[in-house]
Amino acid sequence: MAQKATPIELEVAVVNGVELNGHWNRIFEPRVISEYDLSVLDEVTAIPGAESLAFCYQCGKCTSVCPVEEAGGDYSPRKVFRRTQLGASLFESPDLWLCTTCSDCLRVCPKEVNMIEIMPAVRERAVMDGNAPAELLSAFENTARYGNPLGEPARKRQEWSKHAGVSVPIMNQHKSPVDVLWFVECYPAYHPRGKEASVALARILHQLQVDFGILGNEEKCSGDSQRMAGESGLFEMLAEDNIKSLSQYEFKTLLVTDPHALNAFLHEYPKYGGEWPTYHYTQFLAPMIDEMDLSQAIERRVTFHDPCYLGRHNGEYEAPRTLLRSIPGIDLVEMGRCRENSYCCGGGGGGMWMDSFTSERVNERLSERRVREAVEYGADILAVTCPYEVSRFEDAVKNTGNAGQLKVLDIAELLAHSMGLVTANI
Amino acid sequence: MAVDRLLVIGAGPAGIEAARGAADLGTEVLLVEATGELGGTPYHHYATLTPHLKETHEAMYPMLEGIKAHPGIDVRYNARVTKSQGQAGDFQVTLVGENGQETQESVGAIVVATGFQHFDPGRETQLYGYYEFEDVITLVDAEHMMKTGKIVRPSNGEPPERVAFIQCVGSRDRQIGNRWCSKVCCGVASKQSIEVKRLLPNAKVFIFYIDMRMYGFWEDQLYWKAQEEHKVNYVRGIVTEILKKGDKLLMKGEDTTMGRPVEVLMDLVILSVGMEPSRGTVEMAQVFGMPFEDHGFLATVGEPLDTVSTPVPGVFVAGAAAGPKDIEDSVSMGGSAAVKAVGLLNRLKRSSA
Repeated sequence: MAQKATPIELEVAVVNGVELNGHWNRIFEPRVISEYDLSVLDEVTAIPGAESLAFCYQCGKCTSVCPVEEAGGDYSPRKVFRRTQLGASLFESPDLWLCTTCSDCLRVCPKEVNMIEIMPAVRERAVMDGNAPAELLSAFENTARYGNPLGEPARKRQEWSKHAGVSVPIMNQHKSPVDVLWFVECYPAYHPRGKEASVALARILHQLQVDFGILGNEEKCSGDSQRMAGESGLFEMLAEDNIKSLSQYEFKTLLVTDPHALNAFLHEYPKYGGEWPTYHYTQFLAPMIDEMDLSQAIERRVTFHDPCYLGRHNGEYEAPRTLLRSIPGIDLVEMGRCRENSYCCGGGGGGMWMDSFTSERVNERLSERRVREAVEYGADILAVTCPYEVSRFEDAVKNTGNAGQLKVLDIAELLAHSMGLVTANI
Repeated sequence: MAVDRLLVIGAGPAGIEAARGAADLGTEVLLVEATGELGGTPYHHYATLTPHLKETHEAMYPMLEGIKAHPGIDVRYNARVTKSQGQAGDFQVTLVGENGQETQESVGAIVVATGFQHFDPGRETQLYGYYEFEDVITLVDAEHMMKTGKIVRPSNGEPPERVAFIQCVGSRDRQIGNRWCSKVCCGVASKQSIEVKRLLPNAKVFIFYIDMRMYGFWEDQLYWKAQEEHKVNYVRGIVTEILKKGDKLLMKGEDTTMGRPVEVLMDLVILSVGMEPSRGTVEMAQVFGMPFEDHGFLATVGEPLDTVSTPVPGVFVAGAAAGPKDIEDSVSMGGSAAVKAVGLLNRLKRSSA
């Protein structure tokens, strides 16, 4: 019987962080393809949601927009299909965990090979078999145990609000309906830089006299990235818990800080009976721009990083820009990759919790690639509006040697600074 | 005085449509067919038609019956055109019948629709071993098998587990002298791959190609359908040679999207043989003094706007005699040739009246 080849296409091998370039990388595996073992492709495409992997006709359009490929990873959806067709087990391949579900490949794919459906479906099978990076499993475990992937105590979820300096009503104490229920999410509730943005947003809402409240400790992670990373069971549990908590209260509008939560509330929670008019905070604030007293100028060159789940996934490109343009002094420059073809920070699809795994398989982190782009465009400030990004990009600024050159600030922080409500590190 | 009678040579899709069209326009038609049957190459050889996979005889039945029943069409079976004299409006043509008897016919114009023949894979420069290995067959052999409702390995009569199509056999090859793309083979192979999967759902089917050339709607009607619904595996990279290994065929080539050599075993290999001018087409060039174009098919003047007029006044061409054509193009050319020929006869009639 023919020897089963292990497909490999190493243009760049990295061993212990050292790049080993050269054609001799290929001798590590059989060079000749001696078998097209279609059983893996059959197995993968039999999974509901993963059918379209087999639609690939190898045009390669995905490769040039794939952020992982751009960061030097030996990866693109085209390659994922070919390797699977050659009999490499996607269930056991690093390929399965490198996709950030940024959706740029789907945007350009003529055959609509849908990695946004393929990845969670195939990952779910791998997770069930225990074939997932340990750090991801630990984020799942934290989420299951504490309601957040950071592993922070659930009872501290609302603690940030005590430092807001303005009243942040917690629904189970507030005892009356609100206009706006603000779903804060994990990183804005726990991460030090996320909390600063939350304080800024709380003060803006207060200043605008928005009648709002938060779930506080009753809130759990929306779970969207856990779903994309293959833990749909955990996602369902979180969705049901959050829907139960939200359903206790009367409110007209759901406000979210996190584009991943936006995605969950718009597209997934309705399947479980949770449907509310939901807006990202930039969408909520943009129509109120005239009511904001943006008096303090920010004389800086600012560039904006479109979050994948606000832009490509949910089509919102204008609201963040409307807000930034309204701040006096800001010189808004667009990076080469913005809006529909915006680059990915690397945090989506579980990438947030697989930093060690991913960074071993790329030349530089996606966040670092993006920070270098912002610097190339001469930006003083990289404005963000997804809670994954502040921490990712701030680390990337340090790692790329741009500390002091480029600041990373949430749009809420920039607005609150201009309104004189906080002093942001501009 | 112009003879108001049209000679159509060849009763394949192009000739049939030319004959029907001219007869419907009121011109008397003499339809000469070298075999004993109407329908041409698709009717003789193909189990189903591309792209809709309709059974060929059933699909073509109304077309053929329409010809047989048409009062304006005189069909001569088992006859070949051997000589021609005269000029537009007044040709004297010699027909030779089955038993060698000659007849003379007067016609005013001629449509040559003598079609193509499949490339003989014994001539390919790769080493596919068509005449050496029983399990290496052509698209045409596969169609013949499909007419019997099954696909088996000729060597042992067993259904194949792994089937590979090799594209561009006898096409796009300077060494062979065939520099053209035969246009239909990508579609026909994809059509057959669907049929193989329908007959043998568990078979692994591969199509090895240089470029997939799926014109127009064939893209989703055949290529996407084969790939998405029938799980046919398209692999870019052409096969260099086939060797025997045990009772299987070892295919050697390169998988170009992976950049790696391929040596895989197959049970059945189907060669996608292309089109060449048929014997009849070459003969008609001599009979009517028609030049060939660069590739050896019948030359036309005025392409791309006039696809049917040859350099010889009064002689028109339709279908694959003028180059690789699918059935749709052949039928369209047949209609176009009829209009052009009848138009010429009408003009000659008016000027001599």
